[in-house]
Amino acid sequence: MKNEQFNNRNISSDYFEVDIADYPTTGWGKFKRVVERTFKLELLIGLWVVLREMFKFDTHTVKYPEEKMPIGPRYRAIHEMKRLWESDAERCIGCGLCEKICISNCIRIDTKIDENSRKEVSEYSINLGRCIFCGYCAEVCPELAITHGGEYENASDQREHFTMYEDMLTPLDKMKAEKQLEFEGFGAITPHEDERVKKTPLAY
Amino acid sequence: MIKFYIDSKEVTATKGESILDVARRENIYIPTMCYLPKASANASCRMCSIEVKAQDGFVLSCNTPPVEDIEVITNSDSLYKERQNIMKLYNVNHPLQCGVCDKSGECDLQNKTLEFDVSEQSFAVRDQARKKKKWGVHTYDPALCILCEKCTTVCNETVGNEALYIKPGGYKSHIDIKLANCIECGECISVCPVGAMASTEFKYSANAWELDKVPSSCSHCSSACQLYYESKDGEIKRVTNESDFSSLCGAGRFGFDFENRVISKDEEAFSRAIEAFKNTSNVVFSSLITNEEAYVLNELKKKFGFNLVNDEARAYQNFMKSFAKFANSSLYNATIDDLKSSDYIISIGCSIESDNPMIKFGASQAVKYKKAFVSTIAPVEEYAISNVVSLYINNEVGSEEAALAMIADTFIKDKSSQKEFFDSLDFGYLSGESNISQEELSLLKQNYIRKQNPVLIIGEDVINHPRANNIAAIAGYLQKNALFKVMVVPPFTNTLGVSLICDLDEAKSGLSVGYNVSADFTLSAKGSGDLDMPALNQQEGTFVNIDKNLVVLNAGVAHNGYELNDIANALGVKSKNIVDYTSRLGFKTIEFDDLDNYFDNVGNAYRGYKIDAMQNQENLKLDEVEELDEFNGSIVYSRNPLRQFSIFTSDTKQLKQKMDLVGSEQFAIASKIKSGDNVKFSVDGVEFIRHFRVDRHMKGTVAYNPTYNMDSKSSNYRYNQVELEVINE
Repeated sequence: MKNEQFNNRNISSDYFEVDIADYPTTGWGKFKRVVERTFKLELLIGLWVVLREMFKFDTHTVKYPEEKMPIGPRYRAIHEMKRLWESDAERCIGCGLCEKICISNCIRIDTKIDENSRKEVSEYSINLGRCIFCGYCAEVCPELAITHGGEYENASDQREHFTMYEDMLTPLDKMKAEKQLEFEGFGAITPHEDERVKKTPLAY
Repeated sequence: MIKFYIDSKEVTATKGESILDVARRENIYIPTMCYLPKASANASCRMCSIEVKAQDGFVLSCNTPPVEDIEVITNSDSLYKERQNIMKLYNVNHPLQCGVCDKSGECDLQNKTLEFDVSEQSFAVRDQARKKKKWGVHTYDPALCILCEKCTTVCNETVGNEALYIKPGGYKSHIDIKLANCIECGECISVCPVGAMASTEFKYSANAWELDKVPSSCSHCSSACQLYYESKDGEIKRVTNESDFSSLCGAGRFGFDFENRVISKDEEAFSRAIEAFKNTSNVVFSSLITNEEAYVLNELKKKFGFNLVNDEARAYQNFMKSFAKFANSSLYNATIDDLKSSDYIISIGCSIESDNPMIKFGASQAVKYKKAFVSTIAPVEEYAISNVVSLYINNEVGSEEAALAMIADTFIKDKSSQKEFFDSLDFGYLSGESNISQEELSLLKQNYIRKQNPVLIIGEDVINHPRANNIAAIAGYLQKNALFKVMVVPPFTNTLGVSLICDLDEAKSGLSVGYNVSADFTLSAKGSGDLDMPALNQQEGTFVNIDKNLVVLNAGVAHNGYELNDIANALGVKSKNIVDYTSRLGFKTIEFDDLDNYFDNVGNAYRGYKIDAMQNQENLKLDEVEELDEFNGSIVYSRNPLRQFSIFTSDTKQLKQKMDLVGSEQFAIASKIKSGDNVKFSVDGVEFIRHFRVDRHMKGTVAYNPTYNMDSKSSNYRYNQVELEVINE
């Protein structure tokens, strides 16, 4: 294999080289450039650009916090706990895999048996002060229950900052309005997954 | 010895060993699902199939003894296929709930499914509606059950309770229970390879991989069984054990939350404790103590000259002294393993049902595997062990000495060395007073013929008998004559250790300091005394158990307060850690950290070391049997119910039970009380008010009175004649 395709960066015919004068090497040449720049008032050109842009109204500046950038569905910000579409029940089964895989040890989960003798999450917290938002918890979750969300504003007045199960859980009204968003990052179902699943025979 | 080959390795088997046993001993892997080394082979899973060269078909290695010179193949393509198919069949309709299942992470089904690479299913059958069941301490989920029959095997053979059984019905088959037979030992939970049998309390509270496992020994009774404390976030969540080889009773498995939670060190109480030790004339303690602490107390005694008081251990010490003089050996010679392989067991003065669960387990295994003849000599018939006992001999209360003397006379052939003693026995009188007939004795004698491993169990009633010295002498004489292997059951966890280490005295007048016994100044691991001490699941140390083994105790939970070693250090008996004393106990000079606590591949226990008995040569004459005391009227037997031993089991969450006086209808009629009455009576000066309950299975005029919530164990004879007073409001 040749390196030509990597070395040739002129991928489009629109590309052209900028005409830049050579850097002065002699003392006299350097002196000449300083005098030239000083009296040509190049500085004012820059100032003019700033001034012009100040009074123009379609700027590219995002005026945070009034304005916020849209973020991608795979963005990994504060965790969310999803509900099942069919029943609005919590997806988390309390398997504890997120706690086990967490490399910064920020997840704590306690489970108990509930009145229907099913496993219930009794306590769930994430220490956002420790969390490095690596996404392993979302990746390992077998139920797509814990995911990352888009809420990235988690400034706090102390290092420890906990988020609890109830805070992360999709509210029921949001669920009713069918506004729950699925996470598309690591751990989510890849497209056409069902075509690859081998089915258990149901011969009876 | 049978010589044969496994995977072209030359191996030898002894008689009674199966091919699987030999393979395990030689570290050759044969997969199994249903095999339980401590019980007989179920042969239900067929995973352990092997091939034998020049023979068609598969052979089950678990129940097939090897034949000379055969060549066994443990792995081949067809075997792999067979095993893979077995795993596929196990997985038919097995719920895919590993995510929530308690067993996940330590599940045999999970492991073997992965091992045999079952990635797809080719079998199917219509599933059945299966209901989850809750049976007290354990729950059963038939959907998860693979019917390996391990639980029924342990329940019937190891425990001998015959509570669990298989309800047949083809694919509908499931495990069912006779709840009345269940003693809530949890053995079925421990052997279940999947999550079908689960602890009700533990269920869904933690995953297997989150738990820190600490190998330790049970501290509730003198068996000191091997166990693991499994904790998460500084709290013991459950207790497990090496269930393939050893057993645990319900107290060991479920009574683990007796730790003393202390927030910090109480310096003021500590300085008062030191003053108390300096000024005291008695230190009273119970045998729920490690060897090291007992040693420290003994060292403090040497330094400060107080009297070291533990009546229960002193009674045992005196019993063993007298025993040793006639046995010519300082210790008794039977172990629990001897009991399991015994074919003839006589117990006297022992409540087989509840004094020490491992004796009961051992006796029932002896019955199952060795067809043992078991006879109990006791004033009460314990109906719970009726499937184990071949002959109940009901002696009169207080006549144990006569009973043992008559046994000695019946069994010993050469009576010349104790001629005076045997000549003095008046059989008519003894038989009349003890209510043991000649027929019963000759039955004992007849069944003794051709028995190879007879065992005599001496229980607490005899050790604390008013005539204990003489009984000990007869028991020792029986051991010396090698008619029986004798076991003198230590009444409390470390009674044997304390009796070997400490120089015990009677209490003298003056102040006293109590360690787990209430006194003028009380050190308490229960949290109720003046200074908090660590409970036995918070300590490192050793016990001497019933097998005369020095076994290791490790801390399952941390203790934040002071311990006895801190007090000893402040008083000038200095050592960095309490376990530094382990090598100085006077047994073997092995450091604590060098003591083992594990089982090997074939189930040999490596737990601490055996304490050697000292031999002596004395020829003393036995004392004559004196006139027997008579006990009439209402008699109360201070016997604890199953799964309860001491203050440390009484308040644990899963063991808690009502403390009722339990008697037969006959007892109720004779004492003029009825079921449901509150009665007042006093035993050895201690007043009890108990709710009376009739147990229709019981017979005779003796009622059980639980005393496990008393802080010190009594050293008095456990049968007492009482006046019952009904105090219903």
